[in-house]
Amino acid sequence: MRYEYTVETEDLAKYYQLGEVVVKALDGIDLRIRRGEYLSIMGPSGSGKTTLFNMIGGLDRPTRGRVYIDEVDISKLDAYELAWLRCRKIGYIFQTFNLIPVLTALENVTLPMIFAGVPREERMRRAIEILNRVGLGDRLHHKPAELSGGQQQRVAIARALANDPVIVLADEPTGNLDLHTGLEIINMLRQLNVEKGVTIFTATHDLKMIDVSDRIVWIRDGKVDRIEKRVDVVVGMEEI
Amino acid sequence: MSKSTVESREVKFPPGEALRFSIESIKRRFVRALITAVSIILGIAFYVGLRTMSDIMLSIYGTSEAAKSYQLWMAMISLIVCAVGILNSMLMAVTERTKEIGTMKCLGAMDGHILMIFMFEAILVGVIGGLIGAVVGWLAGLLIYIGEYMNVIFSSALLTSYAMRMGEGILIAMILSVGATIYPAYHAASMDPADALRFEI
Repeated sequence: MRYEYTVETEDLAKYYQLGEVVVKALDGIDLRIRRGEYLSIMGPSGSGKTTLFNMIGGLDRPTRGRVYIDEVDISKLDAYELAWLRCRKIGYIFQTFNLIPVLTALENVTLPMIFAGVPREERMRRAIEILNRVGLGDRLHHKPAELSGGQQQRVAIARALANDPVIVLADEPTGNLDLHTGLEIINMLRQLNVEKGVTIFTATHDLKMIDVSDRIVWIRDGKVDRIEKRVDVVVGMEEI
Repeated sequence: MSKSTVESREVKFPPGEALRFSIESIKRRFVRALITAVSIILGIAFYVGLRTMSDIMLSIYGTSEAAKSYQLWMAMISLIVCAVGILNSMLMAVTERTKEIGTMKCLGAMDGHILMIFMFEAILVGVIGGLIGAVVGWLAGLLIYIGEYMNVIFSSALLTSYAMRMGEGILIAMILSVGATIYPAYHAASMDPADALRFEI
C-alpha cells in the first residue's frame, strides 16, 4: 500500500518537568511529510529538533498530540507492533552513529534483519550488497572502532536501510563529522532519496543540508517558525 | 490485506540467535567479561575456601556447638563478601551498556529479547566463573591442611562435602550473576529508547 504522507503529526507536544519549571520542548507541531520527500528540520540547539526526531521515530512518548506513520497512529500500537514499526518501517541515523561496538560492520547491518526474520544467507547477501552501495565493500569485517567517523556513519546508513524502511530519520547525521565527510554523507542521503525514493527526515543545524532538502522546516522554541521550499536556484555543492 | 502481512507484523529473535549474540559479546568484550569473572572467581573462591576449611576443621576437632556457630558465621560472612563483589561488577557491566540497549530497541528488539541476551551472558559468566572459583577455593582450603592431616582431608565423608560446597558455590555464582544482571537489564530495556540513548554513566 502506498500512502501519500509517510509521516503526519497533529498538534504534537512534549513537555518536560525540570524541577519547578515546565520546559516545552515541542509545543503543537503539525507536519506532513510526503512519500519520497527529503525534509530537513532546522533550528538552533534546544529548539526541539531531537525531541521531534524521537517522537516521529516512536522512541519517546508525546505529552499531547499524535504521530501517524503510513496513516497508523503510533500511540495505539502495542509493544510488538511498535518494535515491528521500528524494525521494518523506520531507519535511524544518529549523530553519535550508535553502532554496536562488539559487532563488525557486516553484523551491525544484519542485526535489524535478524529481528525482521530474514534467513541467514539472505541477510548476508543483502548486507554485503548495501555495504557495497555505501562504499564499504572492503570494510565488512571491521569493527566500529577500526573505522573513521565517516565510515561509521556509512555503516549506520546501511543499517538504517537494511529492512527497506519507508522513512529514514537522521538526527544531526553530520554533527560529529568534518566538513568534507559531512558533505559525503549528505550527498549519500540525497542519492538514496533520489534513486531509491526513500523518504528522508533530518534534524540538523548543518546549513549544507539545505541544498539537498525538498523542504526545510524551521522550528524555534518547540514551534514551527516557517516552512520553506528549496529555492529553485540550487547552490552548487562546490560553492560551499 | 493478505494473511502474510498480519503474520509478519512481529519481530523475531530466536533463542539460538540470542545465545550466539551472547557468546560473541563475551568473546569480544573478553577483558570486561574477565574482570566480571574475576570478581565472581574471587567471591566464590573465598566462599568455597572458607567452607572447605571449616568442614575439615570440624572433622579434625569434632563438632562442638562453638565450632558449629563459628562455621555458620564464616559461611555468612563469606557469602556477603562474595555477593557484594559479584553484584557490583555485574551491575556496572550492564549499566555501561544502556546505550547499546537503546540502539538495539531502535533496530526492533523487544524488552524480552534484550533480557534473553543478558541472561545468557550472565549464566555463562556465572557458571564459568563459579566453576573456576570453586576449584580455586577448594584447593586453597585444602592446602592449609595438606601436610599434617593428609589422611583426614581425603576421607570419603569430606569428599562428599567438598563436592557439595563446590556445587553450592557454582549455584550461588549463577544466581547472583543472573539476579544482578536481570535487574539493570530489565530497567534499561523498559526505558523509552530515547532515554536509553541519552543515558550517560
